[in-house]
Amino acid sequence: MDSNWLSYSLSDFLMFGPEVFLRLFVRINQDIWPWQGIAVIMVVAIGALLVRGDILARRGILLLMAAAWLWSGAGFLMEYYGPVNLPATWFGWAFVLQGALLTVVALVWRWDTVAEQSAMARWSSGIGWVVIMGLSPLLTVAQSGNWHSVALFAVTPHVTALGAVPCMLVLPRRIRWLFLLLPLVWGLFSVATLWTLGTRVLVVIPAATLALAVLALLFSPRRAQNRG
Amino acid sequence: MATELTRRKFLMALAATGLSLRLPSLMAASTGETITRTIPSSGETLPAIGMGTWRTFNVGGDQYLIDQRTDVLKTFFDLGGTLVDSSPMYGSAAEVMGEALDTLNARDKLFSATKIWTGDGDATREQDRASRRKWGIERFDLQQVHNLVAWQAHLETLQQMKANGEVRYVGITTSHGRRHGDFERIMEAEPLDFVQLTYNVLDREAEERLLPLARERGIAVIVNRPFQGGSLFQRFQSEPLPSWAGEAGCGNWAEFFLKFILSHPAVTCAIPATTKVEHMKENMGAMVGPLPDEQQRSQMADYVAGL
Ligand SMILES: NC(=O)c1ccc[n+]([C@@H]2O[C@H](COP(=O)([O-])OP(=O)(O)OC[C@H]3O[C@@H](n4cnc5c(N)ncnc54)[C@H](OP(=O)(O)O)[C@@H]3O)[C@@H](O)[C@H]2O)c1
Repeated sequence: MDSNWLSYSLSDFLMFGPEVFLRLFVRINQDIWPWQGIAVIMVVAIGALLVRGDILARRGILLLMAAAWLWSGAGFLMEYYGPVNLPATWFGWAFVLQGALLTVVALVWRWDTVAEQSAMARWSSGIGWVVIMGLSPLLTVAQSGNWHSVALFAVTPHVTALGAVPCMLVLPRRIRWLFLLLPLVWGLFSVATLWTLGTRVLVVIPAATLALAVLALLFSPRRAQNRG
Repeated sequence: MATELTRRKFLMALAATGLSLRLPSLMAASTGETITRTIPSSGETLPAIGMGTWRTFNVGGDQYLIDQRTDVLKTFFDLGGTLVDSSPMYGSAAEVMGEALDTLNARDKLFSATKIWTGDGDATREQDRASRRKWGIERFDLQQVHNLVAWQAHLETLQQMKANGEVRYVGITTSHGRRHGDFERIMEAEPLDFVQLTYNVLDREAEERLLPLARERGIAVIVNRPFQGGSLFQRFQSEPLPSWAGEAGCGNWAEFFLKFILSHPAVTCAIPATTKVEHMKENMGAMVGPLPDEQQRSQMADYVAGL
């Protein structure tokens, strides 16, 4: 009986094909049109808040990030992805929980002081983040050849998780790890799923999420931590 | 259900789909009757090609893809197919099947086969009910214990359900060559109408014990993964068919793979899955024309092994 498990491969657990997966992005874009504008505004707003960098800006980043977890979890994961892939529903709940927790932290956490960052560092992190969030949605387009499959931050989970990891650096180190666990597990799950699905171009996003989450867990830059 | 499939009906269906115009070779091959098989426990006739739904029909709420899969199912029925196999394990496939059947209004053409797939041995009836609701049918033609999960309890309930007329046939399934020892013991001990297992030109373990046992015990055999989940095409489609393929009744690789299976005397039905109307037409082409004989069968296996 046990040796039977050795005869299973990842593809035995994959219940759907690449066509179905790539159409999830097309479908959600059709259904939410023209509300994609909100996702674009969220990206620009988080970029601007990263440039500003003070405590109020940090609360704003966390609140916007919380909204992104909630939207992509309750929308894409539960409504679109879940019906064809059961674990996606479980991740949907995890995304919603992450969003709820982050909202609480954003509202109640007391930063006594935050480390000063040079203007150069703030501008490069803000602009860098916006550029990555602007380019990574295009990978689904490259994979499918269809502009309607663009995978926006806050709407779709893969880009949301990627964008979340650098944003978690605004959290004090004490609680940061808690919010890096989901990107880590989601990254692992998505790398395995997208690789098995054969949508190899898309693997870049969860692989980068995974790598960044590991780096953030192992090396937490002191400048971002709570000194209070 | 028990659809009477005549050659005339089949040719009319071909003409209706326009297939006869596009595939003259299929028409030429269809000078014989379409290939049907008898279910040993009842004597009922079944077309020898059925349809699987793993992955292919799990499209969620995507109306565009539901319509597209409905076309695949329509082609299957039009070309004389009846047996559709699914499982509660296949995500949204059962709901999609129900919607496609609604659209086509084709439940009278259907031989419905699904599975019980739960570790809870008391949940047989509950899962059967849930599946019936999704398919929109009053009872399944065939209920199978999926991968032998909690098989004792499920089989006992299914036999009671059969006795009450709540299901017509009862079976068990495995795939990928797994648990053949247990499978064999159950085939020997239990009164089964059907077994479902993996058999194709590369995966031939079933030839050793299970297929002969099925003949001996009068159990119908459904063959899953006839294309090894599609990998047979990936490996061999770029290769030429052997020059003698026509003599064995095979005009393309789909027919080659399927007719190898159907020509085993124990096999009742193969259930290839596809997302494409064109592939469905190719696969249904294996239901007409001559089947390879014993010598051609070993030639086929040798040819593929040598590629
Ligand atoms: N344990 C169990 O009970 C069990 C296990 C496995 C399978 N099953 C049943 O058996 C069914 C069949 O097995 P399967 O779906 O795993 O594999 P399969 O039928 O061997 O292969 C399906 C694949 O073959 C491709 N294909 C089909 N016709 C083709 C053609 N004419 N030309 C080129 N490619 C073609 C399909 O791709 P396209 O979509 O591109 O055509 C699909 O990817 C399942 O759907 C399921 O119902 C049961």
